[in-house]
Amino acid sequence: MARTVNLVAGAVLVGLVVLVALVSFAWTPHDPLLVDASLRLSGPTAEYVLGTDRFGRDVASQLMVGARTTLYVGVVAVGIAALAGTPLGIVAGMRGGWLDELIMRVNDLVLAFPALLLAIMLGAVYGASTLTAMVAIGVATVPSFARVARAGTLQVMSTEYVLAARAGGRSRAWIAGRHVLPNISGLVLVQSSVSFAIAVLAEAALSFLGFGTAPPTPSWGRMLQESQELLAVEPRLALIPGAAIALAVLGFNLLGDGLRDRFDPRLEVRR
Amino acid sequence: MTLAIVRRTAILLAGVLAASIVVFAFLAVLPGDSAQVALGVNATPELVERTRQEFGLDRPLVAQYLDWMGGVLHGDFGVSYVTREPIGPQLLDRLGVTLWLVGAGMLVALVIAVPLGTVAAVRHRKPSGALVSGLAQLGVAVPAFLAGMILVQVFAVRLGWLPSGGWTPPAHDPVEWLRGLILPAASLGLVQGAVLTRYVRTAVLDVQREDYLRTARAKGLRPYPALLRHGLRNAAVPVVTVLGLQLATLLVGAVVVERVFVLPGLGSMLVDAVAARDLLTVQGIVLVLVVGVLLVNFVVDVLYTLLDPRLRRS
Amino acid sequence: MRARWLAAAIAMILTVPACSAGSTASVGGGAADESTLAVGFTAEPQNFDFTTTDGAAIPQALLYNVYEGLVKLDGRGEIVPLLAESWTVSPDRTSYDFRLRTGVRFSNGAPFTAEDVKFSIERVKTDWTISLKSAMDVVERVEVVDPARVRVVLSRPSNSWLFSMTGRVGAMFSRSGVADLANEPIGTGPYEVASRRRGDSIVLTENPGYWGRRPDYRTVVLKYYDDATALNNALLSNGIDVISQITAPDSVPQFEADTRFHVVQGTTNGEVVLAYNNDRPALRDARVRRALTLAIDRRALLEATWAGRGTLIGSMVPPTDPWYEDLSGYYPHDPERARALLAEAGVRELNLRLRVPNLPYAVSAAQVVASDLSRIGVRVTIQPLDFPAVWLQQVFTDHDYDLSIVSHVEARDITTFGDPDYYWGYDSARVRRLLERADVGTREQQLADMRAVARTLTADAAANWLFLAPNIVVARTEVTGFVRNQVSESFDLTGLRRAEG
Repeated sequence: MARTVNLVAGAVLVGLVVLVALVSFAWTPHDPLLVDASLRLSGPTAEYVLGTDRFGRDVASQLMVGARTTLYVGVVAVGIAALAGTPLGIVAGMRGGWLDELIMRVNDLVLAFPALLLAIMLGAVYGASTLTAMVAIGVATVPSFARVARAGTLQVMSTEYVLAARAGGRSRAWIAGRHVLPNISGLVLVQSSVSFAIAVLAEAALSFLGFGTAPPTPSWGRMLQESQELLAVEPRLALIPGAAIALAVLGFNLLGDGLRDRFDPRLEVRR
Repeated sequence: MTLAIVRRTAILLAGVLAASIVVFAFLAVLPGDSAQVALGVNATPELVERTRQEFGLDRPLVAQYLDWMGGVLHGDFGVSYVTREPIGPQLLDRLGVTLWLVGAGMLVALVIAVPLGTVAAVRHRKPSGALVSGLAQLGVAVPAFLAGMILVQVFAVRLGWLPSGGWTPPAHDPVEWLRGLILPAASLGLVQGAVLTRYVRTAVLDVQREDYLRTARAKGLRPYPALLRHGLRNAAVPVVTVLGLQLATLLVGAVVVERVFVLPGLGSMLVDAVAARDLLTVQGIVLVLVVGVLLVNFVVDVLYTLLDPRLRRS
Repeated sequence: MRARWLAAAIAMILTVPACSAGSTASVGGGAADESTLAVGFTAEPQNFDFTTTDGAAIPQALLYNVYEGLVKLDGRGEIVPLLAESWTVSPDRTSYDFRLRTGVRFSNGAPFTAEDVKFSIERVKTDWTISLKSAMDVVERVEVVDPARVRVVLSRPSNSWLFSMTGRVGAMFSRSGVADLANEPIGTGPYEVASRRRGDSIVLTENPGYWGRRPDYRTVVLKYYDDATALNNALLSNGIDVISQITAPDSVPQFEADTRFHVVQGTTNGEVVLAYNNDRPALRDARVRRALTLAIDRRALLEATWAGRGTLIGSMVPPTDPWYEDLSGYYPHDPERARALLAEAGVRELNLRLRVPNLPYAVSAAQVVASDLSRIGVRVTIQPLDFPAVWLQQVFTDHDYDLSIVSHVEARDITTFGDPDYYWGYDSARVRRLLERADVGTREQQLADMRAVARTLTADAAANWLFLAPNIVVARTEVTGFVRNQVSESFDLTGLRRAEG
């Protein structure tokens, strides 16, 4: 029961973010970038349902377009991490030996290397942007995928049908495609969902430090950063994007938990 | 055993060497240079060149790298271009602040996570357990700096109970030091604690399904005593692993919290040094961080062996 | 086994205080001790040597407080005596005779004499590396007449020379006190540097041998904060007594409404400039630059980015300069005319890169500029650059930009428009001639010529002077004596008083 609740609640929250992002392509209440000093810091009204920021821009419209940035952030970061990390983990798990050792040690190094520094350096070379922040977060997330994929692969490799396939002279590639990948895809999906949540938080943190999304592109992290000095005067401006971030992260985490309950082979064995 | 340690140490050293080369190469391609930053606007090219020579930036990269590495091996991290002071003592000073922050944050996280996670697991079919899990889920989702900003508004600005930021060395004034540490540790620890709560819950849930615990329960032990006597040690294995991993990723969190609370830690030093293109300092910081994280991994591995009876035997 | 790692953990914890114990003490809030004052700043000096490290942070902390010059700039922008009791200028205005104050000692105990003046001025040419050293190029020689009299001979008359002597270039160093300028500053001022904690604070204590009035505050802690919010919170929670400069202006009403604090507001030398790269084909045509200038509603921009606190100027001259004229109405906000001008210049499509430092004021202003320009059909891409490193390299040195926004904080920096190699990319023979004549000429001629320079720049739309940053000091009510207009390079602590209450 509780498992379905997680899955459903997570799916609903994530669906909401996706829906808002999609709608924002076609319609927003106002132009999210249009500055109007005469409207600045106005509270919620019928026309501006969430009020305006210190540039007189509509907060609701910014929030909607910001959802796009949030999804973009997650997709790019998780994409990089999954596409690089999963194959590495599978290779490490299937080959074993020195290659396994090498991959996992490099993994440890990447894990030890501060993602923040990578973000700063990429930002310095290419100009701070959503993309540089995401590449940094993505690279920093590769080890998580490699670990998960390796652990899953090891488990699959010890199953009887793989042993049978190997005895039958099937190639490594065939085994990887036929048995390993389908069997660990659930784990990778779970990891994707969790990493998505972490990426959204990381973008907010990088934006707070000035290494995230470049203006004027609306981003929840930057909305939060731009309004932090107004926390005492106009708390609404910080709390709204803060709540949006929290709900999105909550959504992806719940989705991850829900998926884990469905896919985690350990639990299946026990049940 | 000895062989394993030698091997691990060799891997550690190779890792550090690789990291130092990567950092050096990355920084070499960064646009902007420290001579220019030191001289600021209106600096003429001749002056920039002269300052570059003074800093030794005009020498071949390999020579610069070997020089630096040679110094580091003797415990000399060089003299910063920007502060004109030896980097080693500064690093140590900043590291102290960050260690306190991360340590206290971890403590807060553990104090929150161990009881809550255990409760959530034992009562996982009851509303109270679900409530704890739900709260933990929400806690994970809040950005640490937002939590920090709100804590400052409430406890420092509105109530005036605690300082809003700044750092007092413990040797100078232990009371002030503790007061200053509470809010930063809380904002770092609350979010980390929420993360950890979920892992503790999972670990305890797993342990509860184990036969020895069922046996203990069958012998008439109440759930919590049974867990205390037989379960927690086993549940600690995955939790310690996660703790180690978290420690590695805590740095970004620490940077942000250092920023909110104006703590002179390693994170803010890194950001400042990169901004000033103080390459020697950046290299020093990253080297210390990488070594630190690799060491933590090493310690976690050892703890793992100690905690898990099955692994100990092998 | 378990006991062993526990012991190791305890050992690790115990070694940590040892790391931080070696560092200097930092004094907390000023409330604890009446004669201690804590002042919050945003830019921290990385070292104490302003002869080789540029930037506002070092002189802000040290000038007038630790280092003194022969002359200083008072709050009204007038040049007044400091270590010189008086001076006379020769009729041809190339020779300055200074009579020095006697009985002055440096904080290392050495007496201050005419030899030190000669040493300090000559040292600018030989040992300084920052660009400001060029202010001393005009000095031909320095003669020691007697221990209390010194004569400086210029190669030509220069109005800017004595003015620059009020800044850091005019600071007096001891012949026996320049061994480690980066860490041990030695001057004649009322304070000396007692200790520092990097990333946190600098502690100044009174110089016991000071020749002048004893400061009310015996100890001043300069505390450094990375961001504006933390600075505000520190004052609100009694962590400090003074905010030296507010950079989050929306928070000011909060302080104005609180009887614990008072707010002092004035002007600065900080012109926030939207720079046009005059050398770019797209921006070479003055009509295009005028169109961009007309398109931007500066009043609204000031409102949106600085809560309306600040001054509209319209040229590179702050109101505290003697040749100030209000040119802020020269280009009224008029998008219609802007569009017409663009059409007249034959511009159909204009895409510009606005490359700004990744600092809050610049990023804020950039968003308003981009929005305003989008209304006349100009597409602007904002690129925040790592500051100072990347901005200095790419925009300032390589001129790789179309538009940029930077606060130009140096005094009388209108002269930068006389340098064709400066990042403005602006080259006008007329402006160069006027600037040269103004420096050599009489007072009247200087005023007339400088006004002409300002007007020419505005007419050419050489840049868009968005506004002049305000000086906003917030302090506890009992701390008084602040300089209203921040026109010198120093945050002058010497006038601060403690009101009895």
